[in-house]
Amino acid sequence: MYEGLSSPNIHTPANLSEYASIILHYPASSLWAGGTFIMSRPDSYPSRRMNAEIIYLGEIEELHRFQRNDRFAEFGAMVTLDEILNTGKAVLPKVLIENIESIGSRLITRRATIGGTICTEGFTTSFPGTLIALDAMAEVRFIKKKRLHSRWMQLTRLLDRNGRIMLPPQGMISRVRIAFTEKNCQYFTRIGSFMLEPDEAVSAAFTGTLDQDILLNPRISFTYPSIGICYSRDIDNIFSSLRFPLDETELGNLEGMVFTFIDSFFQGLSELQKVRTAGILRSIIEDLNVRALTLPSDEA
Amino acid sequence: MKIDCTIDGKTLTLSLNSDKPLSLILRENMGEEGSVNHCSGAMCGLCAVLVDGKAMLSCMVPAFEIRGKTVVTFESFRRTRGMRDIEKAYESVGAYPCPDCYASRTIIFESLIDEAITDKEQILRELAMVRCPCMDPEDEIMIVQRGIELRRKRNVRRSQLP
Ligand SMILES: Cc1cc2nc3c(=O)[nH]c(=O)nc-3n(C[C@H](O)[C@H](O)[C@H](O)COP(=O)(O)OP(=O)(O)OC[C@H]3O[C@@H](n4cnc5c(N)ncnc54)[C@H](O)[C@@H]3O)c2cc1C
Ligand code: FES
Repeated sequence: MYEGLSSPNIHTPANLSEYASIILHYPASSLWAGGTFIMSRPDSYPSRRMNAEIIYLGEIEELHRFQRNDRFAEFGAMVTLDEILNTGKAVLPKVLIENIESIGSRLITRRATIGGTICTEGFTTSFPGTLIALDAMAEVRFIKKKRLHSRWMQLTRLLDRNGRIMLPPQGMISRVRIAFTEKNCQYFTRIGSFMLEPDEAVSAAFTGTLDQDILLNPRISFTYPSIGICYSRDIDNIFSSLRFPLDETELGNLEGMVFTFIDSFFQGLSELQKVRTAGILRSIIEDLNVRALTLPSDEA
Repeated sequence: MKIDCTIDGKTLTLSLNSDKPLSLILRENMGEEGSVNHCSGAMCGLCAVLVDGKAMLSCMVPAFEIRGKTVVTFESFRRTRGMRDIEKAYESVGAYPCPDCYASRTIIFESLIDEAITDKEQILRELAMVRCPCMDPEDEIMIVQRGIELRRKRNVRRSQLP
């Protein structure tokens, strides 16, 4: 059915300079990576929104590259989540691996790309929140004065005031850089299905180093798929000021402070999301408590 | 857009909208309503096919991506020796998928057996894509293990043939 409706033109640039000339010619094109998000939208076909020009990024060789040194791993935007697992399971941060595994089947992870996970429109996957907890950087390509420019940016810099990832107009992510981390506490938790219950699901990513009874360089982000990412240096600072183990009153106070920030970010959280967020926070703190009490003395 | 591809052994040139999902191509252009679903984003997992030997959800593969590819649906897979291994594994475990998910789940079993995946968590993760609750997870693991055994034996027998 629907044959004869206008069939989108598919552009398949083989490199970034071809990409630049196509996007200059057709500035309103849509980008297409693994297609898992685009095609899982109920109105994806035949779509009235989908414009007539699609740029398929899969043929751009640069976007499939993966390289690493002793400090970081760098992934082209078209590297799939499954390829990330295969290439880096032993060296990549635990939160990242757990995040990919939480997405589940390779029927999805073999197609979903790291660029696509960051750039889903009107929906936030659990991935950018995890990348923010890892202080990852993204290389953004954008058109300025009819030329393709690139700039490395921390992912937090791409967050708008509503917790959504925002790229410049006609912007594209070409690479993502993730530093190897020595942090000894890393948690990724997701409750609820991001795709089936986006108004109720929540995920959180946390990284930090527990040193004696304090946390060094903690970073925590909460993701609500239909709302956005809640990340704030202020929440990280609250974590830095804690002494572990926390007792019930301190935990209650922490919960209150974190929710003050979350509420100032987002008004639309459901009751279930709030309960789930509190549950995740509690389980992170309980684990940090246990670790603070059991770390060997040369570590703790 | 003209698309050259091979579907169930037939080499075809199809005239299609470039972004048409493979699931709809199979249902509308190839008449495979029985074995391939199209749930419009409900994540049913009932549309698995093999594309160049790898299991994929056909509703997530656009027409422009099947150019030059070989697609095998359950309709042709059911007539292969691979299917016989899986039927024997179902029989020996005494568990079968229900008629609703038989085609898609069997294709995912095939991909796990073909790649000899033995990690139990991974087996369950892959099969959890099919949201039909008709099978017991322990049975699913046993079916994959039994299927891998049967496939190995058959391959050894074949390699010993003169
Ligand atoms: C069955 C199923 C289960 C899922 N489960 C989960 C889950 O548990 N948790 C979760 O977080 N997510 C989940 N997802 C969502 C999944 O993470 C996304 O579908 C996937 O990451 C999108 O990647 P893609 O490469 O397929 O992107 P596409 O679908 O191709 O593109 C997504 C968007 O990003 C844009 N885009 C793609 N690449 C770039 C780029 N390099 N630069 C700029 N823009 C770009 C596209 O224009 C499009 O708007 C699930 C999806 C499915 C289908
Ligand atoms: S048709 Fe339901 S997931 Fe593909």
